[in-house]
Formats: sequence, C-alpha cells, structure tokens
Amino acid sequence: MWSKDRSLFLSRILTVAAAAVCIFTAFFIPTISEWYEYEMAYEAASIFDRSTMFIPMCITMYICDALALAALWNLHVLLKNISRDEVFVDKNTSCLRRISWICMAAGVVLMIFGLWSSIFAFIGVMAVMFGLIMRVLKNVFDKAVEIKSENDFTI
Amino acid sequence: MPIIVNLDVMMAKRKISSQDLAEKVGITTANLSILKTGKAKAVRFSTLERICDELDCQPGDILEFKRE
Repeated sequence: MWSKDRSLFLSRILTVAAAAVCIFTAFFIPTISEWYEYEMAYEAASIFDRSTMFIPMCITMYICDALALAALWNLHVLLKNISRDEVFVDKNTSCLRRISWICMAAGVVLMIFGLWSSIFAFIGVMAVMFGLIMRVLKNVFDKAVEIKSENDFTI
Repeated sequence: MPIIVNLDVMMAKRKISSQDLAEKVGITTANLSILKTGKAKAVRFSTLERICDELDCQPGDILEFKRE
C-alpha cells in the first residue's frame, strides 16, 4: 500500500540517484562537449563562433554539475528533516533559500553559455524562473515557521 | 514585550507550586514555565479562565501592560 513514508523514501532514493547521475556525468563532460560541438556545428543562432565552444561548454557543465550536486545535497537535508517530522523549521527555510540561489546561479551560467549556443539561454531563463519559484516557496516556509512558532507558544 | 506576566507573584501569594498549578489547570509544567517567563506569544481564554479560577484572581492580577 502506498503511504506518505514510502513517498518520502522514494524522493530520497531519487535524490541520491540524481546525485549519482551528476557524479557519473562529470567524468564525461569533455566527451559530451565535443559531441555537442560536432552535432550543433550548423545551428543557426549564436553570437560567438562555434569552433570556440568546447572550453566554455566544459566550464559551464562543470559549474552546473557542481551546482546540481549542491542543490541535491540541500534536497537530501530537506527530506531528512521532513522524515524526522521537522518540517516548518529554520533549517528547511535555509535549504530552500540555498536551492533558490543555486538555481539562479545555474541560470546565469547557462545564459552566458547561450552566447555560444542560443538554446542554453532559454534553459538558463527557465532555471532562473525555477529559482524564483523556489524563493517564493521559501517565503511561504518562512511565514509558516513564524505561524508554527506562535502556535507552539500559545498556552 | 509590553505585556508583563505576573503569574509567579500570584502563585507566591497563593503559596502554590508550579507543578500543582499545572496539574490543576491542565497544562504541562513546561508550558507553565513558558508562561511564567514571559516567552508565551498568546494565552487562550480557556487557560486564563482556569488559572484565574485556581488562583482566585482576576486576569489583571496576572497580566499587566507596561509602555516600552
């Protein structure tokens, strides 16, 4: 039977799996970059010359990989706290705030790489939007922590 | 906070311990301690009613407003 505990467990497993994928991908970043440079050689829109794409793409992917790992670590901490029934606490708000900044940072990095391949600029905008959504969620959590504190101190 | 809780003064006047009052009012000693130390953010009317009933006093004897 499906339960909240199992759902939480699945989320934790998926987080760990995603982290494993990030680590695995890190070993193939130069290969992926080389492949992308070759495949996208004739894509229409770009500001900088595609022949100079390899190193910026490697740098972008390494940065984004590290940011993804940082975000996944924060998600892992968040899920661990939730499984301990610590939901509306300051620690979780901090996690959400960090995830929000990580998404925005990844968005900026991707938008810069958009100078070489325009599709990445759109992905960057999406990452910034997601970061903004996380920030609003963090504000909601902040308020919930305050309300819970008031409730806990109502005798 | 400009609201001062004088519960400990009233308890001393009535010579009642925290544990006894907590038991009679039906709250935990930890919550009573939060109330006594002024850390509480709100007091339910039902709790105030029971405290006043047990200590035979008025809400004004327990709570006081002091401008900051």
